[in-house]
Amino acid sequence: MKRVFIVGVVLLIGIGLLFAGGAREEPVRTVEFWYHLDDPEARLDPLIEEFEAQNPDIRIDAQHVPWDAYHERLITAVAAGNPPDAAQVKLWWQPQLVELDALQPLDEYLAGWNGVDDVFDRIWELTRYEDGTQYYMPLQMVILYMYYRVDVFDELGLEIPETREEFLDVAATITEEIDDMYGFGIRGARGGHDYWGTFVLSSGAEFFDADGNVVLDSSEAIEANQWYIEMYREHGVSPPTTPADGFVEVIDNMLTGRTAMTIHHIGSARQMHDQFGDDISAFVVPAGTEGRWTSFGDEQTAILATDPDVQDAAWEWISFLATAEYNQMWNDISGQVSINISNEDVDYGEIQRFLEVTTASADYAGVLPAHPEIASFVESTWPAEMQRAFEGEITSEQMMRNLADHFRD
Amino acid sequence: MRSVTIKRKHDLYPYALLTPAVAGAVAIIFIPMLFSFVLSFMNYVLHRPQDHAFVFLDNYRRALGDGVFRIALRNTFIWIVGVIGLQVSLGFVTALFLNRRFAWRGLARALILIPWVTPSVITALMWRFMLDGNTGIINDLLVRVGILQEYVPWLAMSSTALPAVMVALMWQGFPFFAVMILAGLQAIPTELYEVADVDGAKTYQKFFRITLPLVMPVLLTTILLRTIWVANSLDIIFIMTGGGPGYSSYTLPLYSYIRAYRGLDFGYAATIAVYLTILLIALITGYVVKVLKSEDMY
Amino acid sequence: MPRHESFARRVLTLHIPVLLIVLFAVGPYVWSFITSISLPGQMMVRAGEALRYFPENPTFSNYQRLFDRIQFFSNLTDSFVVATLAMLFGLCVSLTASFSFSRFRFWGRRYLMLQFLVINMFPIVLLLIPLFVITSRLGINDTHIALVLAYGTFTIPFSTWMMTSFFNAIPKSLDEQAQIDGCNRFTAMVRIIIPIAMPGIAATGIYIFITSWNEFVFASVLTGRNVETIPLALQRMVGQHRIAWELLTAGGVISAIPVVVLFFFIQKQLISGMTAGAVKA
Repeated sequence: MKRVFIVGVVLLIGIGLLFAGGAREEPVRTVEFWYHLDDPEARLDPLIEEFEAQNPDIRIDAQHVPWDAYHERLITAVAAGNPPDAAQVKLWWQPQLVELDALQPLDEYLAGWNGVDDVFDRIWELTRYEDGTQYYMPLQMVILYMYYRVDVFDELGLEIPETREEFLDVAATITEEIDDMYGFGIRGARGGHDYWGTFVLSSGAEFFDADGNVVLDSSEAIEANQWYIEMYREHGVSPPTTPADGFVEVIDNMLTGRTAMTIHHIGSARQMHDQFGDDISAFVVPAGTEGRWTSFGDEQTAILATDPDVQDAAWEWISFLATAEYNQMWNDISGQVSINISNEDVDYGEIQRFLEVTTASADYAGVLPAHPEIASFVESTWPAEMQRAFEGEITSEQMMRNLADHFRD
Repeated sequence: MRSVTIKRKHDLYPYALLTPAVAGAVAIIFIPMLFSFVLSFMNYVLHRPQDHAFVFLDNYRRALGDGVFRIALRNTFIWIVGVIGLQVSLGFVTALFLNRRFAWRGLARALILIPWVTPSVITALMWRFMLDGNTGIINDLLVRVGILQEYVPWLAMSSTALPAVMVALMWQGFPFFAVMILAGLQAIPTELYEVADVDGAKTYQKFFRITLPLVMPVLLTTILLRTIWVANSLDIIFIMTGGGPGYSSYTLPLYSYIRAYRGLDFGYAATIAVYLTILLIALITGYVVKVLKSEDMY
Repeated sequence: MPRHESFARRVLTLHIPVLLIVLFAVGPYVWSFITSISLPGQMMVRAGEALRYFPENPTFSNYQRLFDRIQFFSNLTDSFVVATLAMLFGLCVSLTASFSFSRFRFWGRRYLMLQFLVINMFPIVLLLIPLFVITSRLGINDTHIALVLAYGTFTIPFSTWMMTSFFNAIPKSLDEQAQIDGCNRFTAMVRIIIPIAMPGIAATGIYIFITSWNEFVFASVLTGRNVETIPLALQRMVGQHRIAWELLTAGGVISAIPVVVLFFFIQKQLISGMTAGAVKA
């Protein structure tokens, strides 16, 4: 009897917990907003409080979704017909989301919004969909550049390289001269297409020609890719772990002094500065044969609500996040750079030098083309083929052919 | 041993007892599964609703000609056999030791459970962290002890990536085998060993004549259930290697997952899943038939 | 009485091997713990330096941050509620099912048992979208109920098979005896069979509990805001560009403690009693 009693009590407590906090008076409109931030301690509360004070009829129901599960959760919710009303989104999901008819075009809203001119033109260009529609609202300016060890450069009397050949010389010199150190930490695992793009998309490789044909396996592209593979395989300027190195490893390799240069964005600046002080600095990525290319590591917001009233409320929220004062608040939380021209002079203190390189890189920032297959290209095909090429399992030509086939199927 | 009281014709009682479990399984597992099964015969790329159509066996044929599918199939075999083999061996050895009497036995029994109760995300990330070819502790340890001359990039080479992940999975899964086998060992009457001692049996003879046969039923059921679980597990592979380098650690569930959530090709992903199910059924059929036949002997 | 072994022999053949196994089991956990009391990046091999195995200035501040700023306590509560209820729900449902499989021979029995295995062979990630649709329709998204139902149900096949074999180990003569003594079939199950099978039931319950405690995929799709279990909270510390190692490892260390302590106290009864019923009879 006693046991039954205990079980009963546990059940009752459990059921009580289930319903606790269920009832709450809802304001007129609630916007369910999904976001992801790298700092688990970061809170959007100040932003939300400010917004709700300005818009008493709208309540923001913000949900921090783990990054690793973000994409699949968003797709699941959209496919099941129950998407969030607004969400933080990546560019490479845009084609899929557009084809799923999940995104609300922003053009009409933008026509009546006075903040358009305060966002960098370049960012509008990069985030606009290929059919000319603006579905995405800019949120952060994440631009990749090269981190380097000033002390190592000084010790060996090296100059900041301007071209990929100079860059290779510098990296090879460091690798040769300094024990246990490699010149350049290449990211060979998922997400490494940013590095690849800097060297390959700047040297004659393109995804599509003017008519939309896949040209990733053109001879220029194969050659550029060959050059990139050789950096690792022939010249050995990157550690032997390269094929498996993701963002954690690439940054750790810098922080532990295993590598002297790597590509990343301002999100790592604080950590790098804390570790090396003035011995770490940055430069704009070197030019390939056709000029410079660096990755725009984008973050935007979008409206996914289907109810027009909620769409309007969601617009209020995402446009609020794109206005100078609040966008700066967001970026103080996320550790990135504002998209607003009027925030250009914000002082980043001891990591100011990284902000300057970010701004200087903006002209070269590019994105991968909008294509429904780009998400699986980035997430699975590119890393797998790149790793095989790095391991010598396939040639540059086979790799580029496989990459091209990804878009041909 | 069959019982007369229990065997009645047209008795609804056993069905009544089964109803909750069957209803739950049908609603929450079977219907979604059926839905996916139907998708496997369709061209069903989520973001192209206009192309959704029945294509019957096209996806199945496509898989047979797909190089990545073949690699994943081969890896799945290696994965199942390797991981289960490792888990059973270490689990068995652990159980034999923990079945003996010593002062800190209770503590040891509780401590070996730690891997099983650690969330997979931590398990995967910690192993990735420790196996790192530049900064990880495992290389440092192996070099200090003298087993290695220089650091090995475990997760960066096709030849070592899958085995490295298998070690992590062995770590996670062996405690469960140890606990189950330990339970089986406890059920063996000690008199059997005493008789064997009187007869002058050697240690290995006692193991093969008494221990192994008597633990076998528990062992087989555990292996059966864990094989299914291991075959389907993908979180640790996904976090540790993402299937790489190249396709060297792709398994069928991982490939299915990537096709579904990265390519949104749910039709083809479902086909891969169905192949996996067929493979598993083929693997365990012999065993299940044996168990179901021997059932009546209880 | 076991033969008398020399102390040295016992150390070599027992204590050292057990110690090695325990070290293997707790090694990564201990390393997590050491990482969790260090400053970020300290526990890595640096170029040209030997790895330190313990931080210079150990600190527990990460644990404090975990509870103060990440509300880890509410994650622990959520996990506990979900795992406990899923265990009770799963046990209730599979208990009767396995009793039925073990004690009755009826039409469709083998087929059903086989089905219970087969439905477990399909990769669960593909079932997420239909499952999400079902829970949305029922209006139970982001509640404990959704996870309790999911975990309770997904462990049914395993629990049923496990408990069927435990029940099979209990002689049927006991049922008959009970019926002669005036029990009906239901009370015979509740009064006689279940108490004898209790260790097996407990083992199955622990299995459901631990599985629910660690599960991530369902939790991430079916819940997240009102209900956030430990694995979900831990995953939140893995960002797009950064892993908060110190918090992640601190969370991992804490999440294992309740279960291990629980097991430490019940392991004796659990393991020694697990199949006792079968032997006695």
